[in-house]
Amino acid sequence: MLLLIAPTQLFAQSSTIDIDRLQRATVYIMQTENVGTNLLVTCVSSGTLLSRDGLILTNAHSTVPSQTCRGETLIVAMTTDVSEAPVPQYRAEIAQADIGIDLALLRITQELDGRLVDPTSLSLPFVELADSQTVKLDETVTVLGYPSIGNEPISSVRGIVTGFVFEPRNNDLGPAWLKSNAEIPGIMSGGGVYNQQSQLIAIPTTAPISASSGGTANCVAIQDTNLDRIVNASDYCVPTGVFINALRPSNFARPLLRAASLGLTVATSTPSAAAISATGTPTFKRLFFAAAVNPAGMPSSVISSLPAGSNSLYLFFDYENMTPETVYELRVTTDGIPNSTFSLSPVRWSGGAKGMWYIGNGGQPWPNGIYEFTLFADGVASPSQKLVIGVAPSTEPVFSDITFGLLDSRGQPQGNGFVLPAGNIASARFIYRNLENGLNWTVIWYLDGTEIRRATDAWNAGSSGSSVNTSIEVAEGLLPGSYRLELYIEDRLRATSDFTIAGAQEGALPQIFTQLRFTTANSDADALTSNAVSNFPGGVNTLYALFDWSQISPTTLWTLRWFVDGVAFYDQTVPWNNVQTGSNFLVRLSAAGGLPDGTYSVELRVNNVLLQKAQAQVGIGQLPIDRFARASGVQLRGRILSADTREGIAGVTVIVISEQFSVSDFTWNQDQIYDLAITDSNGTFEISRPLAYTTDTLTVAYSAIVSAQGYLPLTADGIEVTAETPNPLNLTIYLNKD
Amino acid sequence: MIYIESTSDNPELSFRQRWNHYLAVVVVIVCIIIAVNLRDAALYAVTSYTNSTVGISALYPRNWLINTTGDYVFRVQDMSRVGFKTTIQVGVQAVSTNTSTRNIVDALTLNRSQTLAAYRSLPADNNFILPDGTIATEVSYTYTAINADPFLETIPTVVRGIDIITIKRGQAVIITFLTDSESYEADYDTFSRFLDTLEF
Repeated sequence: MLLLIAPTQLFAQSSTIDIDRLQRATVYIMQTENVGTNLLVTCVSSGTLLSRDGLILTNAHSTVPSQTCRGETLIVAMTTDVSEAPVPQYRAEIAQADIGIDLALLRITQELDGRLVDPTSLSLPFVELADSQTVKLDETVTVLGYPSIGNEPISSVRGIVTGFVFEPRNNDLGPAWLKSNAEIPGIMSGGGVYNQQSQLIAIPTTAPISASSGGTANCVAIQDTNLDRIVNASDYCVPTGVFINALRPSNFARPLLRAASLGLTVATSTPSAAAISATGTPTFKRLFFAAAVNPAGMPSSVISSLPAGSNSLYLFFDYENMTPETVYELRVTTDGIPNSTFSLSPVRWSGGAKGMWYIGNGGQPWPNGIYEFTLFADGVASPSQKLVIGVAPSTEPVFSDITFGLLDSRGQPQGNGFVLPAGNIASARFIYRNLENGLNWTVIWYLDGTEIRRATDAWNAGSSGSSVNTSIEVAEGLLPGSYRLELYIEDRLRATSDFTIAGAQEGALPQIFTQLRFTTANSDADALTSNAVSNFPGGVNTLYALFDWSQISPTTLWTLRWFVDGVAFYDQTVPWNNVQTGSNFLVRLSAAGGLPDGTYSVELRVNNVLLQKAQAQVGIGQLPIDRFARASGVQLRGRILSADTREGIAGVTVIVISEQFSVSDFTWNQDQIYDLAITDSNGTFEISRPLAYTTDTLTVAYSAIVSAQGYLPLTADGIEVTAETPNPLNLTIYLNKD
Repeated sequence: MIYIESTSDNPELSFRQRWNHYLAVVVVIVCIIIAVNLRDAALYAVTSYTNSTVGISALYPRNWLINTTGDYVFRVQDMSRVGFKTTIQVGVQAVSTNTSTRNIVDALTLNRSQTLAAYRSLPADNNFILPDGTIATEVSYTYTAINADPFLETIPTVVRGIDIITIKRGQAVIITFLTDSESYEADYDTFSRFLDTLEF
């Protein structure tokens, strides 16, 4: 057979990136609204297929119905010819979405005409997620997406990674944003950013600002939506966004992908985790800078300048009235000139309604200059803050590294640092440098934004030291809630940190969440009385996690994380919205077809401090292996021609037999097949599952059968591909008449 | 140039020649019979399938691809067929004492109308007698099938299908036959031979 196979087209590859596969896996998504018998396009975006059965990663702002994008039907268009515009093929539904981080996973559910799609019958090209924490500065990236509202073919943009933006989210995921110098049109939002191994490292993201919120919306009217036979400004327009410089790292998509691919759904049955509600105008205030943050997301100290060569800077600020649909933006100027490298294009808000936040830039040196930082919420600017970089190392007095705890008998603070149990006293310890005795310093304590204690004193602890303690003591007890400490020297803020008081005291540690356990039941009510179980039979449909809680103030942010086999599939930080103390908080984990076998665990956190963790096993305690999970390898495609007529033969079966079997071993059993394809009306076929590479240490040899009634069958053993094999591998196969 | 002319005065064959002719005819007939047998052996060669869990056994055409991983007991397809791959499938469904064959037929019709393009039931459900004497219900329908790969250009094929449904031992057995409508009559023989061997 190998003699009959002639590569017809060897693609010149300028790099190892499998651009053909990536282009095919990139889809164009139209959110549409049903108006009479018409579907009107309300929002558009690009997306990327992450599984062969039709899971698509894209932005939430353009797919989840909202004020800006009000449509309810999602149409998926695909590139069937890379030189042409995408062609609508399927309808999709939202499988998982996180509005704040602006990611959504769609699932193809219907053909374009509305017929249901059997996911197992799909065999679509898809890409793998990279670990976005491995991305390096100056790494070359390729961005794929659709640059216009469906008029143009797929486009690719090249650039390099120019920086990393950090925000106070799950630190395990790495930076909140990657920055790139690639010029990415706003309409490519939701597409894919790839490394040189053809793995998805990020999603280009920018959110349009809602016109109704007072911002300036970039919007294009393309349809006569009000049926007045004129397309003008009175018609509904499709948002296009602005140029993108923020890339959401792929690690943020992993929990969504894991939950969607396993069909897992988490719901809190006890009324909590309420949607964040805001009643006023989104506001930013109290902007200040820090050179570093601690694991709880608090500033190490407050700075007003940085020495030359500094490569990390964090802008801290307080926020109020924010919602997941609020669009915020950071504009930075250097010596009065806009600096896109350190700016952040408009993106969705991923914090809570109220609190302290930071935007940090790390990984690249900051050039000397006077920087001005201005934050925008829904297009409205907040007061800006300036910082000088390039000054001599500071000799100003410094307070830094505040931690909180309860003092032991030796005066040493004990505890986890940022979550204290309810009691009469809370202590803080901090480091000081460059001080002089006699300087006035001030301590201010706040509870939920209200000042509760202030003290000013003359400094008497010397020039520098590792620690000084300051405490707040309230005879009637410190109420549970969110506290803040500010340290001033001569009326200038030098250090600040937030902490939480919650839970009963056990030693120096808070007992906020207790009795975390699992059970299963037919209903939520039954679950409250069921016995705790840690081993469940395979196929169980619903698993409940229950816990008791103690002394949590409403609005205290808490985090619920679910893992399966050590990989997170649910991660939500929401304000507590329940009574302060109670029992049997119920969290339901379910899957329509039964929970897959695996080891499931739950974590409960406050201020990123792990407070409770429990684990349960379903079935054999390990997820089944997904044999279609790999996307790398050589794509086999080609044409089957009649040796007599040289014309393509339609409907011919091309079977690639799994590497464990040869043609002689093949017993025409589906289990022995690696993948198969059937030729179209031109005789063209595609094996959708990529062939694995043979390497120096591993030989992967496939067998193949080409079978068509009326023609002599062709068989071959020992088909191997290597890194040097053209990808995709195009074959022309001639069949002789029987 | 030399010409040699051979003539015979006696046109009648000898005894030996006559028997040679008879022998040649017999050999040809025997060869034809052997060839037909070989052809039939190749054409009607079968492979056995047995599922003791469900209690089903059958003989299906050799070199048809068998799949036992779907939501059916087993499915065999003629992968060498150019165009739509002729398919025979056997599935079982749980039923209650109140479930009738008509209920199964309705459920199949509703489900298929949501997934198959241009699905249309053909008139008249017929009683069908299986080889073991069991009375089943036969339902005919058509739909159009198209290659699921969106990157290929495929013209839909009109498929004609038959479901034979019977309820036995607390479960509904659904035997499905699907083939290109243009070759339906010819392919039905294959299905008939399959039914003859089916035991459950």
